[in-house]
Parts: sequence; structure tokens; C-alpha cells
Amino acid sequence: MARPPLLPTDMDASLDQVRHQMVQLLPRLRRFAIALTGSAADGDDLVQDTLERALKNLHAWEPGTRLDSWMFRIAKNRFIDNRRAASRRKTVALDAAEQDAALDGERVLQSQLAFRDTAKALQALPAEQRQAVALVLVDGLSYREAADILEIPIGTLTSRISRAREALMAALED
Amino acid sequence: MDRETLNAFVDGELPPQEMARIAVLLEAQPDMKAYVVKQEKLRAGLKFEEIMRTPPPSRLVEAALSAPVSWRWRAQNILGRNFILRSLVPAGAALAVGLMIGVTGKSGEDLALSHGRMLARGDLAQALNTKLASSGYSGQGPRLGISFRDRAGSDCRTFTAAGQAGLACHRGGDWVVTTLVTQTPESGGTYRMAGSEMPDAVRRAVEASIRGAPYDAIAEAQARANGWAGK
Repeated sequence: MARPPLLPTDMDASLDQVRHQMVQLLPRLRRFAIALTGSAADGDDLVQDTLERALKNLHAWEPGTRLDSWMFRIAKNRFIDNRRAASRRKTVALDAAEQDAALDGERVLQSQLAFRDTAKALQALPAEQRQAVALVLVDGLSYREAADILEIPIGTLTSRISRAREALMAALED
Repeated sequence: MDRETLNAFVDGELPPQEMARIAVLLEAQPDMKAYVVKQEKLRAGLKFEEIMRTPPPSRLVEAALSAPVSWRWRAQNILGRNFILRSLVPAGAALAVGLMIGVTGKSGEDLALSHGRMLARGDLAQALNTKLASSGYSGQGPRLGISFRDRAGSDCRTFTAAGQAGLACHRGGDWVVTTLVTQTPESGGTYRMAGSEMPDAVRRAVEASIRGAPYDAIAEAQARANGWAGK
């Protein structure tokens, strides 16, 4: 005889939903992270770190609010933290498999000349301008959304975008 | 017109009327127009379309689908968002002897009465022994909620199964069901329980008996590896 259905607790269903929303967000998160870090390997490491951090802190996300903004904010904070840590850390040798994977990712991006130029120009920007560009020009968020994610006043964001634009134009026109 | 305004125009950040006004103005101002065209190109060049088209690496999909979720999130969802862990709850005498609520005679092969205690058997015992709540619900069989150490040092777990929700603690090699709430099936044989929350009786039993915080994914796996032996 068939068992009666289980109690419909929504928890696993909603967790599943959140996880799948995160998968949907992966292309945007990768693009954001690669724009910030300047490399596919570092960008993907940042995305992985962001995913793990987000799930570990999922209780801090208010259901019904935007998951993308919340995750971009985590990525931004991880990026800042990692840069601080990286300046203190010694280089850790990657094993052969990791090296290959990293090189593959790199090769895909390096093969595109245009990407290389824009990525290089982006890397030349101060990190705070790069964050603003990655949200507004790369991801296409509004100034308001970007300012909220970066936790800065909108006027600050506007001027960072303007300064970044001048620098990017100058770099790419050469 | 200053560049910040023109940039805002390129980014579509101006009020509709202002957008329209500048669009008209640009036609009469070749310099400004050239600047705007360049900025639009820059914006378009920063889209990294290739990344958007490339399927993400499987390790990232894997992380999104299976990286461990916070125990606080699990606790909030099972026990209700307002659930506050209290480390100091007066030990209730009722809990020491086990709280039994709404037990029906028709408990099936998953429960057995032995020496005045209700013990998990069959699929329920199997699930309590082997399943990890942190690895998600497979859609079949009893579903585990949270696991924790109780004040007597036993490992305890909440569960829902076939219209019943309860709390079981591992004592003397058996899962002793200390709290059980049975729902009456509605017409059509389906069970319904308000929202996603544990019945109050189960929640209260957890609150009254828990020592510290519920297990996170790692502690839950460790408790299983230890055979739910408790402290």
C-alpha cells in the first residue's frame, strides 16, 4: 500500500529554489568577478568563495529581497578581503591539475583580443572604480542598485563611474 | 553640458523628460554626440558576452547546488523565523518522562511500544540512523529536520513522516520518540500542516531540551559517524 504523502514542509523546496537561483546567477556573478579580478581563474575562485559564503550565511538573506544584489555584495566584500589577505600571503604552489584548469580558463579569455584589452584597461583602474564599472557598465545595474551593493552614496558612485569612464576611454583609444 | 550628465544619459539614468531633451540636443551638437557614441561603444564593449554565453564551470554549479547551508537557516525554517535559541531553559519534569501528544493507536510499523517507551522502528529508525538533514531531502521516506545534543547528553533529531512530526532521542541503542504529533488526514488522504514549521509541541520540546545550538552539517555528520552515541 502506498504511503500517505509526507508533510509538505517547504524548507527543502525553498532551499532547492534558492540553489537553482544561484545557478541562474552564475554567468552574471562570473562576469562580475572576472571584471573585478582580471582573470578567469581568479574570478571563478571568487565566485566559488561567494557561493560557499552565501550558503553558509543564508539565514542573513531576507527571502523576498533580491538574491542577486545580496550575492554581488558578498562577492564585492570577498574581493576586498581577499586582496587584503593576498598582500600578506605567500604564493601557494598549485598542483598540476589545478594549473591546467586555470590555464584553460585563461586561454579561453586570452584568445579574445578585445577582451584582453578591456580587461587590461579595467585592471589599471583603482579597485573602487573597477567595482563601480563592473556593476553599472558590465552588469548593467542602475546607479541606485550599484550604490546599494557597494554601500556608498549615489553621488560617490556617479563620480567614480565618470572618472573610470575617462580613464577607460583614454586607455582604449591608444 | 557636463560629462557626468552625458554619462548618466548613456547609462539611462536621467528622468524620461531629460533623456528626451538631451537626445534632441545631441543632434545639433556633433561634439557631444561623438562623445556619447564613444561612451555607448565603451559600454557595449564591456558586456563580456563570451562569459555570459559560456556554461559556468561544473565546480561552480556543484558549489551552488551542494555547498552546506547554515544551520541557522535550517533552524529558522523549521522552527520559525522568530525562534530564539535559549541555552538556559528550566528542565521540565514533563520532558524527563517524555512528552506524548496526540499519539494514535494506528502508528504502523515505524513505531513500537517497548517498556513504556515509544521506539522508532523500520524506515523511521533507518532514516534517523543514516540520513543527514544537511544533505537535503531525497523526496522519499521520513524527512529529518534538525539534530542536536540534549541536556541529558543524548543526540536528538526532529523528523516528519507520513503525517507525523516528532522528536526522537538516541538512548540505549534505540531512538526513543519523546514527542509525536499526529495529523489527521484531510479528505483525499493528504496531510496538511501550517506553513513549513514544526508543530508547536515539537518546537517547545526542542527548546526545552536542547543544549547549545543545533548541529551544523559537520557536527551532524560527526554525530552519525559516532553512531549517535551522544556525549
